[in-house]
Amino acid sequence: MAISYRDAVFLYCLKQIKDERSIYSLFHLFQGKKSSQTIQDAHLYKLTPFFRALPLITRIELETIVKEFVSRGFLEQVASENFVLTIEGETELNVFQKCVTIPPKFLEGWKYHHLTTLFWERLSLLVQVSSNLINKNKGFIPIQNKQETQEWFKKFLKMQNANRYELAEQLYIELTECLHQEKSIEPAVLVLRLTGHNKIGLTSEQAAERLDMTTTHYHLEFLNILHYMIKTVSTMRNDFPLLSSLVQDVQKEVPLTLSTEKTFQLLDKGYVPNEIAAMRNLKMSTIEDHIVEIALHVKEFELNRYVHPDIEKRIMEVASKTSAKKLKQIRDQVDGANYFEIRLVLARNGGQKWN
Amino acid sequence: MELEQALFHYFQFNTFRKGQREVIDSILSGQDTIAMLPTGTGKSLCYQLPGYLLKGKVIIISPLLSLMQDQVEQMKALGEKRAVAINSFLLPFEKKQILQQLDRYKFIFVSPEMLGTELIVSKLKELDIALLVIDEAHCISQWGYDFRPDYLKIGQVRKALNRPLTIALTATATEEVRHDIAKYLQLEKWKEFVFSVDRPEISIGMEIVGHQEKQKRIVELVESLEGPGIIYFSSKKIAEQMASKLRDRGQQVMAYHGGLDQEARVLIQQQFIHGQLNIVCATSAFGMGINKENVRYIIHYHMPLQLESYLQEIGRAGRDGKNSLAILLYTPGDEQLSIQLAEGEIPDREQINMLFHVIEQQQLSLTKITENEELFIRSCGFSETQWRIVANYIASRESMKPSEVKEKFYHYITERLRIKKEKIAMVLEYLQYRGCKRTFILNYFKEKAASVKVNCCSSCGLDLNDFQKNTNLTHANTQNYNWEQELASMLLK
Repeated sequence: MAISYRDAVFLYCLKQIKDERSIYSLFHLFQGKKSSQTIQDAHLYKLTPFFRALPLITRIELETIVKEFVSRGFLEQVASENFVLTIEGETELNVFQKCVTIPPKFLEGWKYHHLTTLFWERLSLLVQVSSNLINKNKGFIPIQNKQETQEWFKKFLKMQNANRYELAEQLYIELTECLHQEKSIEPAVLVLRLTGHNKIGLTSEQAAERLDMTTTHYHLEFLNILHYMIKTVSTMRNDFPLLSSLVQDVQKEVPLTLSTEKTFQLLDKGYVPNEIAAMRNLKMSTIEDHIVEIALHVKEFELNRYVHPDIEKRIMEVASKTSAKKLKQIRDQVDGANYFEIRLVLARNGGQKWN
Repeated sequence: MELEQALFHYFQFNTFRKGQREVIDSILSGQDTIAMLPTGTGKSLCYQLPGYLLKGKVIIISPLLSLMQDQVEQMKALGEKRAVAINSFLLPFEKKQILQQLDRYKFIFVSPEMLGTELIVSKLKELDIALLVIDEAHCISQWGYDFRPDYLKIGQVRKALNRPLTIALTATATEEVRHDIAKYLQLEKWKEFVFSVDRPEISIGMEIVGHQEKQKRIVELVESLEGPGIIYFSSKKIAEQMASKLRDRGQQVMAYHGGLDQEARVLIQQQFIHGQLNIVCATSAFGMGINKENVRYIIHYHMPLQLESYLQEIGRAGRDGKNSLAILLYTPGDEQLSIQLAEGEIPDREQINMLFHVIEQQQLSLTKITENEELFIRSCGFSETQWRIVANYIASRESMKPSEVKEKFYHYITERLRIKKEKIAMVLEYLQYRGCKRTFILNYFKEKAASVKVNCCSSCGLDLNDFQKNTNLTHANTQNYNWEQELASMLLK
């Protein structure tokens, strides 16, 4: 029995984390948990595309999939929550990857997770409203009923200078232009879901069936096309004035987690980690997690405030030699370096490359 | 303006439907009113039209969040921008924004739990209220099948608002329920309108089928009956299964239930209304507030939990006045599932023991109970419905001793379960009744026997051939999909 698309995605991710992380780290990754640990792991194991890519996954589903892999001989258990791919597992995955790219070419969960839903809700509403406007149909039920989205949309519509026909035509031109530019995507994945004046769009389940895809495959292709569009329209604002304005108001940087943000502010005021831990009544290790997260995201972060340049150099030497990202191996070979320093150096030096 | 003129001006209808005119006259003459109008006769028009003609705000209390959302959307779709819903769907900042500008709105929908907060009530007090509307007013009565403890607060709120002109609307209410409505709303003098629940255009069928044959029978019915139709289920899982089975046989069908995300729900509703779907396999989450005129049949795969909800559900057929069909498939023993469902909706004794055990152990005050929602849901295993009952019950008894509340709560749930079981027994009696089904239902609602002559019900004689479809199955569109053409047809003129 050939493996399914979903199987391939899970095998791919399990292969990336090797036996170094628990299978539940994937659960947090797919759900898009904004914890320092999950964010760092996503970067460390090059799994950022999948951040919040399957938010509906449950622990039980994950466990079932892993169990199935073991019984099919694709996985081998090495610790209670850690597994490695067997040769069969690797082969199955390789065969699959010859036909289908995993992850999909444009999937960038970490970079766009805060924009994805927003972009889709606004785009689908814009198409529906434009289509109804040019057909002079006022009585329709908006398919996006979040108050927030509707409020935003009202303001957006007021700011448009074009008349209804020009607006709809501009939208048509930009959409076809954007979807034509890239040969590897399938525009039907998106267009089937859109609602017009007299035609209601399909649900994701219906679209998957229509295109003869499994639900997981369809869902990732849908995210892929949205991420492609967000990327394209925001790098070429002049070519896509209308589409790019759908996400213009949103803060571009990925925000820090709330708790990390507080730590960041205190560090900025000159407090040292020890003091912050005491002030916030948090464990020292938590504050260290925060600092690693800051190192990953804040360009101005001064690494050498926390790690001596010599130690940084030695850690990088060892890290580039050992393919494994196991911190323990590095610590064993670098005298005097602690885990915090190693994580910081990896985050700082690898983080930029991975982003 | 003449009332008919106003009707045309605001709703583009030429004539009133049965009962609407009388109810609206009563309100406009300034009398508190209780109106029992059958489903599908345009209950909402009974407050919307007076709302337009009266100066001041219309406050509508509505029990179901989804229903409220639907009503607001529909009003907006008709061009009324001044409609708003205040409920727990709102994010804190949205709520703040709306409350700050409350005066901008004309039709303000409020969920009953929101009436429990001081802030909302004080904001409402600042408004000039022309009309207070209690939708689905039977929820106020313990005898009602949908009893909502939150509704008991409405009386106090009404008093706090200085007893504005009030209308209570309901589709189904027995005499004792109507009595409760007046009592709890603290009405002093009121007018009551009761219009027959009978819908002569709907034929009422019942079939006894073996457990194994049910799905097969559904397939037969669906393939022979003129659509569109709705099939009701008590279980999400079976609704999904059946939908997928029918889809494999070429039907345009989707399942609809509370487990779907918001977008899918809207899409499926709209696809059904626009004729892109011919059938919906639904749980009771589907239907309230859906205005589709030409539903031709309603099938029940499982027996309903009360005759009241059965009547509501079959009432979604034939709103265009054309002949339509309701069929209930019954397998002896189905009532066991109904009892299980009823029991599951109410917290059981063990859960209540656990609840008070935790309260004692953690030395929590009863006033803090909703703040610890997660703790209780986790430790006592409450479902959403169960938790709502618990939170409401305790919220109104905060000042009492926990041990006392516990005893009373035991008594309360025993009583609630008894009522639910009685309702189920009544449905069973209906199913086993050999006489006219329509008469049975009407008598239950204290009405006289009906006078439908042809295809009245399965006891009086019902010929399913009269409901056959004329047209052949239209095949699903399997042509190649041209996305560019689709976009053009949406966006280019």
